[in-house]
Amino acid sequence: MQYSEQELKKGIKLHTIETDKFKTNLIAVFLTTKLTREDVTKNALISTLLRRGSKTMDTQEAISKQMEEMYGASFDCGLDKTGDNQVIKFYVETINDNFLPQQGEELLKTSVEKILEIAFNPYTENGGFKQEYLEQEKNNIRQRIDGKIDNKARFAVDRCIEEMYKDKPFGLFKFGYKEDLEQINAVDLYNYYKQLINSCKIDIFVSGIINGDTKNIIEQNENIKNLQEREPDYVVPKAEAKDTKQENVVTQSMDVTQGKLILGLDVNLADEEQKYTTLIYNSLLGGDANSKMFQNVREKAHLAYVASSSYLRYKNNIFVNCGIEISNYEQALELIRKQIEDMKKGDFTDENLENSKQGVIASIKTIYDEQDTQIMYYFGQELTKAKVTLEQYNEKVEKVTKQGVIDVANKVNINTIYFLRD
Amino acid sequence: MQVIENLKVKEKLYIEKLENGLTVMIIPKSGIQKKYIIWGTNYGSNDSEFVVPGEEQVTKVPNGVAHFLEHKLFEQENGTNSLDTLTALGVNANAYTTNDHTAYLYECTDNFYEALDEFMDYVQHPYFTDENVEKEKGIIGQEIMMYDDYPDWRVYLNAMQAMYHNNPIKIDITGTIETISKIDKEILYKCYNTFYNPANMALVVSGDFKPEEIIEEIKKRLVDKKSSASIKRIYPQEPETIVQEKIEQKLEVSQPLYTIGIKEVKEANAMENKNETVRKCIAMEILLTLLFGRSSELYQELYKEGILFGAPSLDYEFGKNYAHVLITGQSQEPEKLYERFKQQVTKFKQNGINENDFNRIKKTIYGRYVKEYNDVQDIARMFLSDYFKGINSFEYLEEIDGINVEYLNQVLNFVFKEDKMVISIVKN
Repeated sequence: MQYSEQELKKGIKLHTIETDKFKTNLIAVFLTTKLTREDVTKNALISTLLRRGSKTMDTQEAISKQMEEMYGASFDCGLDKTGDNQVIKFYVETINDNFLPQQGEELLKTSVEKILEIAFNPYTENGGFKQEYLEQEKNNIRQRIDGKIDNKARFAVDRCIEEMYKDKPFGLFKFGYKEDLEQINAVDLYNYYKQLINSCKIDIFVSGIINGDTKNIIEQNENIKNLQEREPDYVVPKAEAKDTKQENVVTQSMDVTQGKLILGLDVNLADEEQKYTTLIYNSLLGGDANSKMFQNVREKAHLAYVASSSYLRYKNNIFVNCGIEISNYEQALELIRKQIEDMKKGDFTDENLENSKQGVIASIKTIYDEQDTQIMYYFGQELTKAKVTLEQYNEKVEKVTKQGVIDVANKVNINTIYFLRD
Repeated sequence: MQVIENLKVKEKLYIEKLENGLTVMIIPKSGIQKKYIIWGTNYGSNDSEFVVPGEEQVTKVPNGVAHFLEHKLFEQENGTNSLDTLTALGVNANAYTTNDHTAYLYECTDNFYEALDEFMDYVQHPYFTDENVEKEKGIIGQEIMMYDDYPDWRVYLNAMQAMYHNNPIKIDITGTIETISKIDKEILYKCYNTFYNPANMALVVSGDFKPEEIIEEIKKRLVDKKSSASIKRIYPQEPETIVQEKIEQKLEVSQPLYTIGIKEVKEANAMENKNETVRKCIAMEILLTLLFGRSSELYQELYKEGILFGAPSLDYEFGKNYAHVLITGQSQEPEKLYERFKQQVTKFKQNGINENDFNRIKKTIYGRYVKEYNDVQDIARMFLSDYFKGINSFEYLEEIDGINVEYLNQVLNFVFKEDKMVISIVKN
């Protein structure tokens, strides 16, 4: 595997990952911009509008047929909240030319051209997005916003984040807000879009069996040529100081059979390097089947089937996650508090520590075997401006000490306790 | 060891049936870091009535035993839990139960053989006590309650209720809180001894392995067990009719969820033999994409009308004694969508399949099959679950060439019958 990057223009980067491990080539285009209350809904709308039609593929049907012709290229658009940024993502995955039933079709070239067209050359009418598409996509976004409640576990975590980041960018919902939709019109939104693609950070990833032409094709692409140089407008995620005040306890009622208990924890890190220790801390607290949460809340107390924690490294928060019987709330909460306290006291063995490290390192190694994870890893590096190779990453994890974990544990505070119940 | 090569995806399958009856399949992937192993028994939630080899009377057990066993097998006599031991080795271990098989697995980059010791030990050494069985009821109870809140699980299960009268495919894999309360260690041992015989199991490995080496390592770790005779399974008689066309449940969701089901009549039809199963499955995938995929007329129209906003998932599921279509998604007006779907089927039957559309979607499905060979997990799981259906996964890549429009039209008329369709809806 060989990774290289190249600045096509100021603020626009091409990343190539040459690998022959896969049957597929994966191409991704990421547009990264600051997350703000003002633009969050517009960006969400753009992410769904762009897949409705482009210059030469003016309908969704035309795009779909094109992808189907390319041996079922999977085309997808997504929207992410990454730290204080909103990222609009486009993916095309095609099978590699080596595995086509007949030779001579240049799928890689075609897919690069098609994805760039979809991202940077949308279908327009009368100087704006097509009115019909806009109205339909407003409905689409409305339903996605309403759809928040459908996955109760996900909803509970999102609500906990919202409580922790009230009036801050990270507390925003990535699909935006219904009340914004009405005022958005086709021409203004198109103008906003043009400004966005000329000011946001752009990263293009190509992974697979790449021939020498690939860079050329992208550099010479009309849609790339038309983009301006820019000082990209985005937020570099950093370890920020937390000022945890009193624990905020929030209870919400909904029609659920099982209660969802989420604890939002602040990790008050001194510097970026402590993130590797925090990774191990999280693994010990609730990251795997040997963790305190799994062992004590699930296996010993039988309070839950899901009992885990996850580390959100861009914001230095840990979310403890439990599905419990509603009447067991007090008991479960007390037990979770005890796990957090025990971590502060260093109540874990050297063996636990070693196992957690090996678990994390093993999961890092699998990045080599997963095309999309590989892209996300390099994108994370790009965003944080911290270039760490996978080998270096593993070395840093290897160096984590027990005392280091205890230090991190003592920087962990409960910010919010969120309970979704009946 | 038999070697089967597929030139389209450029992969090889090594397969051997060991003396004790266990089937081992190896799909080497050189240069890949991840190693994946999965060991399955042809025993799932469907199998609750059977005759133990050597016995005469029928054994009937409560629903949910296969899944319960899956949970309990990790427990070791020395008080440790194999899931913890494997996790401590830095491997990613798990298990799951379906309606026709139960599987144990792990994925790792290092410590493969250390993990193999533990893995093959725990699957072959059950340890159940009254106490540890009781304890598990609490955890599984929470799992059952978790699924009760999943609208997508409910809409699926209700569709099954609407299609099937007696077939156990309709029951919840976990059982219910009531049925699991009746499970005890005697039942668990009896089911274990019956279904976890090597002759009823298959093991699949994928990763950077030398087939001759890995098979020896596996043999070394097998306990001495005689291959048992085949197990007689008893499935209730299933009428050809559906139970009810419409079924609805109320749950708090933003937008109704729907599943359209089409029950296929399995008995007494001329289309069934082994090769035919694969051919029919391919034809169904093409047909469903033509009917309701992203480029289909139906999808485009419904999107424009605001009736749906995402392509539905299109599945054709089949086993020894059932087969059905499931079309699942979210829609503001699921009933209208259902009517339109039926109309579209009629239109397709009248006009026949368009040759150009067919060729395009055939390419799509070919690409989909090739993509399955990217990841060791996908590969191993696919070979295991296909094996229990009597299929070698490569057959899909081989058979697709021969599928043509005439055949598709034939399958369309055979499967898509209006009196076999149901709709399940979950809404506020």
